[in-house]
Amino acid sequence: MADDEDGKEYRWETGYEKTWEAIKEDSEGLLEGPGLDMVQRARRRQRQKLSHTRLGMMRHLYLILDQSEAMTSQDLKPTRHLCTLKLLENFIEEFFDQNPISQLGIISTKNKRAEKIGELAGNPRKHLKVIRGLSTANCSGEPSLQNALDLAIRSLRLLPAHASREVLVLMASLTTCDPGDILVTIQELKTLGVRCSVLSLAAEVHVCRLLARETGGQFGVVLDDCHFRDLLLGHVDPPPAVTGLESSLIKMGFPHHQITEGKEAALSMCMCHVEVSDGEPGGGLKAGGYFCPQCSSKYCELPVECRACNLTLVSAPHLARSYHHLFPVDVYIERERSEFEDSISHCFACRRLYVDSDKHVYECNRCAQVFCLDCDIFIHETMHVCPGCATNQTTVNI
Amino acid sequence: MSEESESSLLVIILDTNPGQRLVQEQAHVLTQCLESVIAFANSHLMLKAANKLAVLACHTKATEFLYPPPETGSQSMCRQHDGQYELFTHVEKTIRQSIQKFVVHHIERIKQEGENTGDTLLAGALAMSLCYIHRLERELTAGAKMNSRILIITGSGDSASQYMNYMNVFFTAQKQNITIDVCSLDQDLGLLQQGCDITGGLYLKIPQLQGLLQYLLWVFLPEPPIREKLVLPPPVKVDYRAACFCHRELIDIGYVCSVCLSIFCKFSPICTTCHTVFKTPGPLPIKPKKKKIKLT
Repeated sequence: MADDEDGKEYRWETGYEKTWEAIKEDSEGLLEGPGLDMVQRARRRQRQKLSHTRLGMMRHLYLILDQSEAMTSQDLKPTRHLCTLKLLENFIEEFFDQNPISQLGIISTKNKRAEKIGELAGNPRKHLKVIRGLSTANCSGEPSLQNALDLAIRSLRLLPAHASREVLVLMASLTTCDPGDILVTIQELKTLGVRCSVLSLAAEVHVCRLLARETGGQFGVVLDDCHFRDLLLGHVDPPPAVTGLESSLIKMGFPHHQITEGKEAALSMCMCHVEVSDGEPGGGLKAGGYFCPQCSSKYCELPVECRACNLTLVSAPHLARSYHHLFPVDVYIERERSEFEDSISHCFACRRLYVDSDKHVYECNRCAQVFCLDCDIFIHETMHVCPGCATNQTTVNI
Repeated sequence: MSEESESSLLVIILDTNPGQRLVQEQAHVLTQCLESVIAFANSHLMLKAANKLAVLACHTKATEFLYPPPETGSQSMCRQHDGQYELFTHVEKTIRQSIQKFVVHHIERIKQEGENTGDTLLAGALAMSLCYIHRLERELTAGAKMNSRILIITGSGDSASQYMNYMNVFFTAQKQNITIDVCSLDQDLGLLQQGCDITGGLYLKIPQLQGLLQYLLWVFLPEPPIREKLVLPPPVKVDYRAACFCHRELIDIGYVCSVCLSIFCKFSPICTTCHTVFKTPGPLPIKPKKKKIKLT
């Protein structure tokens, strides 16, 4: 999949690796291959999901991207900047896949200034365009953390109280050039309930750590590109809600495709293309579309906020896409395969015959079906449905 | 890459629920379906030597793989019969044997446990096929490509009770680039229609059961990339409106809980799903207290 494509280009471009140190023997003298870290990652993720906390579902996230001179360093291949952009593309796709009713904005900081390069919006395509456009931008000067944070505050402050506000800083520089006292900014972020996480591409910096700690975010230092990807994708899942986050009922519209009976519908402009035509042929003049149930403005895609009446327009699957965060599949119990003797010869879900290297199998608490490791990871990370429970009348609706 | 390395996997999910209206009225319908499915499956295998096939049967209590048979290490291939390609004979024999076992087993369970109630657990069968496809894709040799799709043949109605499972499965399929096709024998299926729309598959409610094989061969045999070039039934407009959690009615404008995303048709001060207390809209004479009720 996509992960394999962004591998190393040439052997001599990669760093010096002590590959022999990655191989370890277990107590029986068998080799534990590189699959181990993946397994652990999956386990770790599962444990995090175990705690049944309230999540901030309607996320408003600002990405602060350092574009200072430090980004040109080549410790991530080919450069920190290009590597970050490549991973961000993946991140943005994943983010909107998992949080369809959330919004994302991008702020870039260089030359002691901060600039908003992507407005807070819910359309991944626009952000991807911005990110792709950045690959030719040059990185220079020093970043300014405070300016960037202030810029984020200015727009996050206006959001309604039920919105979860977040900032994710990708910092390559070890220094920041700030106009005032950054501690004041951090306090302000704290009082506003903005959760700030920092990923440093270089090393731990006190002020970044403090920012993350004070506002309840996470702090991480990137080891290599794979680790970077893991850390970044860790921010895809919605974080626990900030205490004091108000809950409210939000009015939303569920427009449906309107089809006029019989004849072809008249062409009309949609509100999303009325100003910019995106270079498409026809300039957004289409027959069908989604109509706002409140004011009948037309839009060509969902989710969107109605420009005329500010109603959030979504479709039911958008909401359904987020449900798995709220109702995760229970963690399976790890069992020795020898416990089952020969009664279970293959994985319940994928019908793979167990071989000698499958030392552990995974049993679901509820339906008591047994799965192989690969299915366990697939079920918990991607599918979020237990095939055993879903094929059993007694366990299907819990 | 050369064409040789591209194969196509077809997973057929056959609904064998004895509670289906069609089956209850005329019991031989199931046999007729099975004949068509076997012929269709063989046609798929005939298109290319590298094509793969899996068939699942599911009803109210269980889901089982009919084909391929459980791996046992030694592959026993049957002898050529009437000059028919061995694989076809093998497919037909395996499917017939396993479906017989499956249905008999189900009847015994119904006798033991009493009533046969509930809906066909199609979402579970879909989940199992996704795991199976996931495994086969992992086992592919480097450079080989496999296009996977799932075809559901069902005569039951769809049930909102499995809504969440269905949605999770559809989104997984979309992510893994797996097309879900649905061939409905009896009723219009709103939920599965959404699944087809999300994954880019075809939905067809066949007008005549006698022509099942014809419909299967014409509509569902071509692979998704080829379908663009064919004149197929136009995609149905899917109604994506949400049903409110309180009355199960389709609504245009609704209220969504910011904590658990439940949908309501009217404003209520407390969420019935997660018991969160909401801030009342509009100015209030008394300042509302801090709410700290957690999702349990």
